[in-house]
Amino acid sequence: MNALAAALTRPFDRLLPARRRQLALAVLVACILLFPVVHNNDADIDSMANAAAYATLALGLNIVVGFAGLLDLGYAAFFAIGAYYYGVFTSFQVMPLWNEYWAPLATLGLVEKINQGGPDLVHFTLSFWLALPTAAMLTAAFGVLFGAPTLRLRGDYLAIVTLGFGEIVPIVARNVDSVTNGAAGLNGIQAPHLFGWSFGVSATPYYYVGMALVAFLIFVSIRLRDSRIGRAWMAIREDEIAASAMGVNLVRLKLLAFAMGAAFAGFTGVFYVSKLQTATPEMFGFPVSAMILVMVVLGGMGSVWGVVLGAAVLQLLQSWFLPDLTSWTHALGELIGSEWLQHVDFVEAIELFFGIILVVMMLFRREGLIPAARRTPALSFEAQHVAGVQRGGFVGLDRIGRWEKGSGNALEIRGVTVRFGGLTALNRVDLAVPAGGVVAVIGPNGSGKSTLFNAITGLVAAEEGSIRFEGADIHGLLPHEILARGVARTFQNIRLFPNLTVLENVLIGQHARLSTGPIGAVLRLPRSRAEERAAAMWAMDIIGLFGSRLTPRAQQTVSGLSYANRRRVEVARALASRPRVLLLDEPTAGMNPAETLELAEQIKSLHALGLAILLIEHKLDVVTRLADTVVVLDHGEKIAEGRPDEVRRNEEVLRAYLGRAARETVNV
Amino acid sequence: MTTADLFLQQAINGLSLGAMYALLALGFTLVYGILELINFSHFNVFMVGSFIAMWVLQQFGLSGQNTILYGLPLVGVLAVAFVATMLATGGIGVGIERFLLRPLRNVKGPAAMITTIGVSYILFNIILLTEGADSMNFPNPLPPVQFAVGGAVLRLREILIWVIALLLMLALTFFVKRTKLGKAMRATAQDPEAARMMGVEVDRVIMTAFFLGSALAGASGLIFGLYYNVISFIIGFNAGLRAFTAAVLGGIGNVPGAMLGGVLIGLTEALGSQLVGAAWVDVIIFGILVLVLVFRPAGLLGQPAPNKS
Amino acid sequence: MSDPADTILQFDAVNTYYGDLHVLKNVDYTIGRGEIVSLLGGNASGKSTTMKTIMGVVRPASGRVLFDGAEIQDMATSERVRRGIAPVLEARRLFPRMTIYENLEMGAYTRPKGTQFEEDLERVYELFPRLRERRNQIAGTLSGGEQQMVAIGRALMARPRLICMDEPSMGLSPLYVEQVFDIIQQINRQGTTIFMVEQNASMALSIAHRAYVLQTGQVVLSGTAAELRENPLIREAYLGEMQVATTA
Repeated sequence: MNALAAALTRPFDRLLPARRRQLALAVLVACILLFPVVHNNDADIDSMANAAAYATLALGLNIVVGFAGLLDLGYAAFFAIGAYYYGVFTSFQVMPLWNEYWAPLATLGLVEKINQGGPDLVHFTLSFWLALPTAAMLTAAFGVLFGAPTLRLRGDYLAIVTLGFGEIVPIVARNVDSVTNGAAGLNGIQAPHLFGWSFGVSATPYYYVGMALVAFLIFVSIRLRDSRIGRAWMAIREDEIAASAMGVNLVRLKLLAFAMGAAFAGFTGVFYVSKLQTATPEMFGFPVSAMILVMVVLGGMGSVWGVVLGAAVLQLLQSWFLPDLTSWTHALGELIGSEWLQHVDFVEAIELFFGIILVVMMLFRREGLIPAARRTPALSFEAQHVAGVQRGGFVGLDRIGRWEKGSGNALEIRGVTVRFGGLTALNRVDLAVPAGGVVAVIGPNGSGKSTLFNAITGLVAAEEGSIRFEGADIHGLLPHEILARGVARTFQNIRLFPNLTVLENVLIGQHARLSTGPIGAVLRLPRSRAEERAAAMWAMDIIGLFGSRLTPRAQQTVSGLSYANRRRVEVARALASRPRVLLLDEPTAGMNPAETLELAEQIKSLHALGLAILLIEHKLDVVTRLADTVVVLDHGEKIAEGRPDEVRRNEEVLRAYLGRAARETVNV
Repeated sequence: MTTADLFLQQAINGLSLGAMYALLALGFTLVYGILELINFSHFNVFMVGSFIAMWVLQQFGLSGQNTILYGLPLVGVLAVAFVATMLATGGIGVGIERFLLRPLRNVKGPAAMITTIGVSYILFNIILLTEGADSMNFPNPLPPVQFAVGGAVLRLREILIWVIALLLMLALTFFVKRTKLGKAMRATAQDPEAARMMGVEVDRVIMTAFFLGSALAGASGLIFGLYYNVISFIIGFNAGLRAFTAAVLGGIGNVPGAMLGGVLIGLTEALGSQLVGAAWVDVIIFGILVLVLVFRPAGLLGQPAPNKS
Repeated sequence: MSDPADTILQFDAVNTYYGDLHVLKNVDYTIGRGEIVSLLGGNASGKSTTMKTIMGVVRPASGRVLFDGAEIQDMATSERVRRGIAPVLEARRLFPRMTIYENLEMGAYTRPKGTQFEEDLERVYELFPRLRERRNQIAGTLSGGEQQMVAIGRALMARPRLICMDEPSMGLSPLYVEQVFDIIQQINRQGTTIFMVEQNASMALSIAHRAYVLQTGQVVLSGTAAELRENPLIREAYLGEMQVATTA
């Protein structure tokens, strides 16, 4: 029980930092607050304010690239949109003619009437504080707009398309002169006001606002990361097909990632331009997108503190290290009389360092300076092969409740045909799984068993036929919708989320059953907290079904688990979604006879709860032990159906497995 | 000039640009076809190639357009320039593959692509640091001969570019279709494991693809110099964007596709700048790129790629 | 068993792992020169891994693989092909956008070009007359059976002493299956040793001299084809009946 409680509360421990981390954080905050007081150099304070902007950009890209795994090479476009939005609504570029309809807005302080020696004009005076959230919303909308075409693309194509959008935005900015003043850019952008006092030109107020923004966005990032949303993003990053089959709505979550990432850039755009008081297209091209990528790569993709560190390092590089390196090189040049050395300017060539950083990090430390993945030491494979085999089915099954046995068929498949190009993988297959029943599908290699599963779960389209779940037609639904209805599966070649822990993998199974959205995740309302707690307890209960095999490993990254344990985690993950039908694709493959027996009994004990099970298995005695009915497929067609002992004796079946001898002189 | 003449002139320009883009796209597609890797450094290898070509020509005492050669000396100088440039850039490509990309060959995800972005920046900045940011005069020994085609002008350099590009494309096609190593490359692009089991040394094939691809980038860089008479360290990105779009348009991984795509994009650029102005041409080209990738990723001549995540 | 000099391929206590999955468990095979030996077994028995181990795509964790007396388990694939092993791959895996002729040419990749190439090509065309007619047809447009012909021809072009076939009957219509097995016998009569992974046990045993039966990575049965044809245990091995309950 203690181990259970410890494992259970550990995720929540991360929210309440250990005493040491609290202390470190307090020291950091104190340093940041006191920095301008202690070091009263305006240029340096300005650099730090810039660093804050870099950090928020890196945090935003981290959501898209690090959490969700979407390689966005045009991220600076969102930065541009936020910047130009604030610029247009505070500079003197866009000034329509005044008429009385503008009066109410003037009383709100959003516009003012000015006169520059002609007719009266409207000068937009959008408040900085109002601009921040509204810019975020605007850029989020663009995030969805630019992200939508990329949803079905492979990683490298996605990168190129985002690169394309990233380039189009500055080009538009450069050419729509009337709004953006073209290449010259917007000037006279209004500084923020606080209670009537303008920030003016001193860097200090910007520094504090910037740091507050960083703190806020770190907070949001961490909240998202540790929530249902963050988990779903990481599942998409690791294996989007498995994520979809486990209930994650790929479209919605990918667009959400783009939107949130874009929003961060929107915030930053407003902040950055309010400090600089000018906005030009050069500030937002591919070099800027690449620089943000360098920060994320350097710090660690997916690592919140890592990317902040990456941004800080790059800022230090730019404002301190490179100028110093340049002066040292000049001095060296004078010493040895080298003309070239005396004139080299490393600050201009900062991109050289970007390039070196990218190459070095990819070759030697892909996980970044502060890796995102926790490094819980994995047990060796030998240590995971527990000597004692657990007989008698699942442990603590009573804790996970019962499934109500409905009536009729849990799953009904009629005439399903699947074709891949010229090959007919399934040919008019009929199959029914009665409520609470266990049906096994067997057949030689290539007979279409996995294709059948893929058709049922929506991963593959069935051209003909009907698929009904509890009477309702599920043909044509997306995989995550099918999971939500109550059909969960495992995969033949194991599709776990390799860099996530056992607990996180199992929790993904709950994704469709929870409802916390991004706002709930950030605010962590009591309802969300209760939901997470319940989900974690449920997940631990499911993990606990496997006795001591998985519970001690709940916080371990799945990639370090033994093959048999990974199969178990997949079953646990599917169970976590509270399915009403469980599709198991060769769950005992790769297990030795003892482990096979153990799992078979565990599945049987599940069945006793009333769960309907459809099982692909080729170990015939597992089938005999578990199944009420056996269906035999060969070359995509059903060639036999019946009770296990009947099927074993069936001549057709034997011939399917052992092969048709053309001369039929062979008796086996 | 009448409108027809104008379009004819732009068509001539477009074909010359197209030839350059086609070579660049070919080099890019050779690597992609085998590794399915978007090699961002390719376009700065092109830029480096133009600088190497400039240095080589300067060794002959040429500078600007002051010295003009005719006949055999002209052919000789150009031949040496092409060979030297192509060998040098080919070598750079092999170096990049061998030391920076081969260790990542089995790593899943964007690691290799990110590395090529890094290499691209490194090349770009090495030239910036050593040659400075100013445009440089490219030595052009071609006599200012030109012909009239209707009301349009066809310069010697354009004929030369077409001839060279055609020769190189024919040579590459010959190599890929007729030689043993070329066929091994095609086999590896279609099924690397089966190729390996035929005894193909996949490492060597990949190295060859990088060598040839980068050599073509170098040739393209030399052609750029001859065409525009000036080069600078930023020419990679623009030309690269066009060549990349050409490769995608024609069908990524597809050799005739790259050539077709190159010509189409060259014509688009020439006619586009005539019609809507140079600034919007970029948007058009990016637009083509995005549209092709979203709606027809296989391009005009390519095979539909399997959907990998 | 047989005289070592007559052994062309040997597996000696080979263990192969995928991660921690023990795929081949202490496996021994002996293939005699000039034999047709079949490797039988049901799903996930380790048959494919055996083929990959011979070709060098997968390396064993322990044990030796000997070809003509020389240890090859650490050799590169290209070296093994040069020494005389050629594969006929599962599901053919021809180069889909190359012609029949070009596919056959790729088979001879490791051989120096010369008149022998023309001779071997003739031999293949004699064996498969339809290929001669269609030699410029793109391989991806052929039917499964036709592709199998090309795949076998491609292997023959390497003038191998040992051909490793992975599931030659998979995905073929019964007519083609017959033809393929006839051809296998023909090739064997001309002197080539064949090691054939085959799920269709009946067909395989009708032409093989000897066979091994694999189950979850272990050799559970072996013997002459005649012996195995009579053996009822083969059915159990295929249908995945578990062995007698093991001690935990």
